[in-house]
Amino acid sequence: MKEPLYTRRMTPRGLKDFLPKDAARKRAVEAALAAAFARWGYAEVITPTVEFFECLALGDGPELVEKMYRLFDREGHTLALRPEVTTPIGRIVATRLRDEPLPLRLYYIANVFRYEEPQAGRQREFWQAGVELVGAPGPAADAEVIALAATALTAAGLREFRIDIGQVGYFNGIMAGVDLSPDDRRALRRALLRRDYVALEETLARTGLPSEKQRLLRELPRLRGREEAIQRALALADNPASRKAAENLGAVYGALAAYGVAERVYIDLGMIKDLDYYTGMVLEGYAPDLGFPVCTGGRYDNLIGRFGFDCPATGFVVGVERLMLALDAQGGELPGTAPGPQWLLGCDEPGRPRALAAAAALRARGWPVEVDVMDRPLEAALDYARARAVPYVAWYAGPEAVRVFAGPEYRELDPAAVARLMAAAEPGAPWAGGGPHGAGEGRGRGDGARRPGGEAGDGP
Amino acid sequence: MTGRPLTIALPKGRLLTQVLPLLAAAGLDTEGLGASSRRLVLDRGPVRFLICRAADVPTFVEYGAADVGIAGKDVLWEAGRDVAELLDLGVGRCRLVVAVPQASGLTRVQELDFNSRVATKYPRIARRYFNEQGIQVEVIPLHGNIELAPLVGLADAVVDVTETGRTLRDNGLAVVASIGVSTARLIANPVRYKIRSDKIDPLVAALGAAVPPAASPGS
Repeated sequence: MKEPLYTRRMTPRGLKDFLPKDAARKRAVEAALAAAFARWGYAEVITPTVEFFECLALGDGPELVEKMYRLFDREGHTLALRPEVTTPIGRIVATRLRDEPLPLRLYYIANVFRYEEPQAGRQREFWQAGVELVGAPGPAADAEVIALAATALTAAGLREFRIDIGQVGYFNGIMAGVDLSPDDRRALRRALLRRDYVALEETLARTGLPSEKQRLLRELPRLRGREEAIQRALALADNPASRKAAENLGAVYGALAAYGVAERVYIDLGMIKDLDYYTGMVLEGYAPDLGFPVCTGGRYDNLIGRFGFDCPATGFVVGVERLMLALDAQGGELPGTAPGPQWLLGCDEPGRPRALAAAAALRARGWPVEVDVMDRPLEAALDYARARAVPYVAWYAGPEAVRVFAGPEYRELDPAAVARLMAAAEPGAPWAGGGPHGAGEGRGRGDGARRPGGEAGDGP
Repeated sequence: MTGRPLTIALPKGRLLTQVLPLLAAAGLDTEGLGASSRRLVLDRGPVRFLICRAADVPTFVEYGAADVGIAGKDVLWEAGRDVAELLDLGVGRCRLVVAVPQASGLTRVQELDFNSRVATKYPRIARRYFNEQGIQVEVIPLHGNIELAPLVGLADAVVDVTETGRTLRDNGLAVVASIGVSTARLIANPVRYKIRSDKIDPLVAALGAAVPPAASPGS
């Protein structure tokens, strides 16, 4: 292991590069999510990477404050890199969007930063794609957000997943009337959050809560399932706030049926979240091959109020890298996995103008085309195409000659084979609209909007 | 989301021999899981067992390579992994202690000072414990035979687990503080715990019924 000077050639821990293949996949996933958000009427916002620490701390609880990258500006203000985007959006809503008609539907795709041990599916810088539905207090808004989460994950290509929903008001209602020290309260919450049922038992035994409360807290993690879980929760609730929370979740769940996503959704009233700004419905999305949630969210009716504008809101966020991992794990063809050219165009010096004209025409139709800039002779050009797995090579020599080679063996196609190739092409297929033979003659320009290779576009 | 086997990470070594009767009592086919086996993956009907280093079980579970696992609480404290802790299995009971050479004459951890070196397989636990006590010591991570360190002057104290205290005594060490009591725990990946509850809930119930009442949680 070479120690000296590694800081010159490596990135800091938890920060990583996306090389072309991963970058293309990330763009494709983000584009699919952004398109789904936009189709549901959500508009993109972009907030600064760096904000005043005071602003971010206003929204984010102690858990996130501890993890912020902090720095100073030259006036001595403390700044921080955003650890999530909901708080900045809360700031925008309470200030610059305050007079807009409600509800607001906003989405974002952004990198966020948390100074913590890099963990499964999460580096210190990672990407989030999320939506906020601002100004609507009712279950219909929560149902829309849940349904959109399911729709967006499906649009990104995820086949198997489920979304669990809970309601933080249920647990809060149970705990409201309980006589406990702040430490014991934290211990109970933490045990339920981490699903540490051994610690839950120990804490219950130590604190000596009334046996009814103990039974309820023990039962809380088991309030899972479909509709019947809500019925059980209602029957168990020992206070009006919890009952109201269960009723609210029932209304949200009921509203989901009409979206056609109820099959995907499970109830879990034991769901406790690590962020403390949630006030109502909460959600987490799981893929079977991933050991951690792929999306998370919920209702946060008090957050925007901290910026001086009382306004309910609900939303969710997808971890982009986690979604990429889940897509990877389910196997099969991924969108955007094959960046790079479909054609390599080479030439000798006299053939150069024709090669460039052909490249321009192909690109106008949406083809990724690479033109040799290394003055490679034909054999070297074929070697290069082989090494990069470029499917087809066209070689322009002198004023007229053109030769076409097809990978993976790069055998030369005779004119009849080239013609067959072009004739067999269908619009939208990789060979649609002709190849180098037709190039430069202005044929088939109407196809320019099509993107070969199934890429989902240029990103958000 | 079902169909694949429920994957259970087991710690190889001493703890495994104490856990196997519980697994058998819970109705799992544990044949061939004995200490002599060299296999690392065993398929037993609807269940797949992974045989891991004890300290690695939480890692396999956190990343979802195993759905559930069995790990000592000492290992969980040390690993600090994000896993659900479903059940105290009662077995594998041991104490995490601070021990010093009897010859040193020390009787309290507070008598250790910033010059003191503490050898341990549990550096995270040791640092946290001494920080909480307000004692600044140098923690020396070792991988085994911790008792050796004070004998040859590498360390002034050790943090280690002990069942009966005999190994410590045999090496001339005396316990001066107890950090905690550890037992084997059934742990689960938090996501799998939910999406595979059809398999995991019955396992928790069966294992819970198999745990001897004398060794029930919290005792």
